[in-house]
Amino acid sequence: MPGPALLDRRLLIVTGKGGVGKSTVAAALALVAARRGKRVLVAEVNTQERIAPLLGAPPSGFEPGQVSPGVFTIDVTPRESMREYGLMTLKFRAIYDAVFENRMVRFFLRAIPSLSELVMLGKILYEVRREERGRPRWDLVVLDAPATGHAVQLLRVPQVLLDTVPPGPLRRDAQWMRDLLVDPALTAMAMVTLPEEMPVAEVIDLDAAVRGVLGIHRAALVVNAMPDERFSRAQRERLAALGGEPAPLGPAARAGRLQALRAEAAGRHLAHARAALDLPTLVVPLLARDAWDRAAVEAVADGLEGSV
Amino acid sequence: MGAVVEALAGKRIAVCVGSGGVGKTTVAAALGLTRALSGGRVLVCTIDPARRLATSLGLASLGNLETRVPEAKFTEAGLAPRGELWAMMLDVKRTWDDVVAHHARDEAQRDRIYGNRLYQQLSSALAGSQEYMAMEKLYQLSTERDYDLIVLDTPPTAHALDFLDAPDRILDFLGNDTARTLLAPAIGAGKMGLRLFQLGGSYVAKGLARFTGAQVLADLGDFMSGFQGMYEGFKERAAAVRALLARPEVGFVLVSSASPRSVDEALFFHERLRTESIPVAGVVANRVTPELWDGVPLPDAGTLDRALAARGPPDPGLAERLASTLAEHEVLARADAREVGRLFAGVTAGQVVVPRLETDVHDLAALARLGASL
Repeated sequence: MPGPALLDRRLLIVTGKGGVGKSTVAAALALVAARRGKRVLVAEVNTQERIAPLLGAPPSGFEPGQVSPGVFTIDVTPRESMREYGLMTLKFRAIYDAVFENRMVRFFLRAIPSLSELVMLGKILYEVRREERGRPRWDLVVLDAPATGHAVQLLRVPQVLLDTVPPGPLRRDAQWMRDLLVDPALTAMAMVTLPEEMPVAEVIDLDAAVRGVLGIHRAALVVNAMPDERFSRAQRERLAALGGEPAPLGPAARAGRLQALRAEAAGRHLAHARAALDLPTLVVPLLARDAWDRAAVEAVADGLEGSV
Repeated sequence: MGAVVEALAGKRIAVCVGSGGVGKTTVAAALGLTRALSGGRVLVCTIDPARRLATSLGLASLGNLETRVPEAKFTEAGLAPRGELWAMMLDVKRTWDDVVAHHARDEAQRDRIYGNRLYQQLSSALAGSQEYMAMEKLYQLSTERDYDLIVLDTPPTAHALDFLDAPDRILDFLGNDTARTLLAPAIGAGKMGLRLFQLGGSYVAKGLARFTGAQVLADLGDFMSGFQGMYEGFKERAAAVRALLARPEVGFVLVSSASPRSVDEALFFHERLRTESIPVAGVVANRVTPELWDGVPLPDAGTLDRALAARGPPDPGLAERLASTLAEHEVLARADAREVGRLFAGVTAGQVVVPRLETDVHDLAALARLGASL
């Protein structure tokens, strides 16, 4: 792999289709980094907070809150980001309040295309660069990015502004943000998918968009919930014939057959993704869990620990 | 006939909603196909640019224009439709252009908006734009075309509410009078370049310009003035769309997987639709792990091996793997059953459970089978 290892960069962006387990993977990667003594911030973007509850902690809101030793979370919202950014730009709270707490001005903050994405991304990248007593405040920032389309929309904002906005404060900020995002020594992206047809098709499209539009270094493909191949061909054939037997054999054979079919299809989709993407692939095994809680995330982290 | 298809029998519009990754597009296509098979002209309008839907319908690609699914494709799948199936994919930018052209006073006004830098980003950058245009397109199709059923597959929004709120938010943007007042000096300055003093020396405007750069405000001023006189038309249209959604000929279909998050969103959305008096025709619990074992305790490896021995050679390794496979399967099946129970307790419309398909749906025959279960 060119450049530093996945968790040794400063910003790791985790994205993929909705419902593929992005947040779980982001949380698990943060746990792995923390186990290695890193101080990690996991950022979620304008959503119902999931990471903190997943790790058994109360939601953090807009201030980084510690949810586990070495792991902090933050939920980045447009309104709070705008306020913080505005205060930084305008220097004085009185001016900020006069300008930004003005009812009229609220309108503009929504009206200027991409501004809310810009300030949210700005907040996250500000945390990446942030220093305390001469050293970075965070060893690693993990961005639990929105689902594919929205992630591309968020991450391309600096480039869009560079292309469309004349020189000025907005453009200046867009410039450093873009530079940080496309620096492979600092930033990498992990793309998460399930070993299923639609998510794989979408991650292949995402990969093309990342290469063509975003220019962010793609460091890994994470294939989540991968069923194992546990039955031989002969056993699979035997199971197919036993499905109609009375209990307990019939139901057990049907469960076995479903597992085998699922594993076979998953293997095909995994191979397709690997062939299409040519990226280091991390495979997270399918875990039979009753609920997704901290123990489940720890189990995913255990599985990932050896390969990142 | 499944409960959802039955609930949609008298409807002219079906809108599929749900969080991302729950199989909404496939459900929409299956519902459309099922109606087309029993007779009637049906249009499926999708937002999802997945080529697979086009392929499974036998079309090279889907675009902003309605395309009919060829007869040969049905024959190939062993189906004999009594009606017609049409499909299209929403092109957000083109729909915006159509809307602007429709409401513009003349070509000059239209072209001024088309040429504005902010407008060019609007379709992709303004939050809710996709949702707004989906509603707009639905209205156009339902009033200007002669379909017996239109099935709309909604955008995979992270926040389901975007779908209902986006038009209002965007209208608020287009019709903001105070913004016009603030920008009045900028309006007309256009691309001539705007200096700060042109903002009338307003303290607020100056502060804002310091934040965004003055040119951005000038572009915005130009954009706002370009829209002058069109706002009323937009507003009437949005009100008409909202009224359309509450009509009895419309049925929303909630699609959810068995994941707690997707069920939460479906329930949340259901509550919101109820508040808005928008009729919900059905709820689909999709990709649910089927329960195979209702008794306790689960069989152990020894029991299974004896059963195997009665039906051929014993295979202790197989018996052990089957015991753990069934146990794991039941953990997943019970977790799914619990979530489906929660979903159905909250939504009283036509309820259907679709078991997880072990082979993916990628042709008309498979879509038809899915449709039959809906």
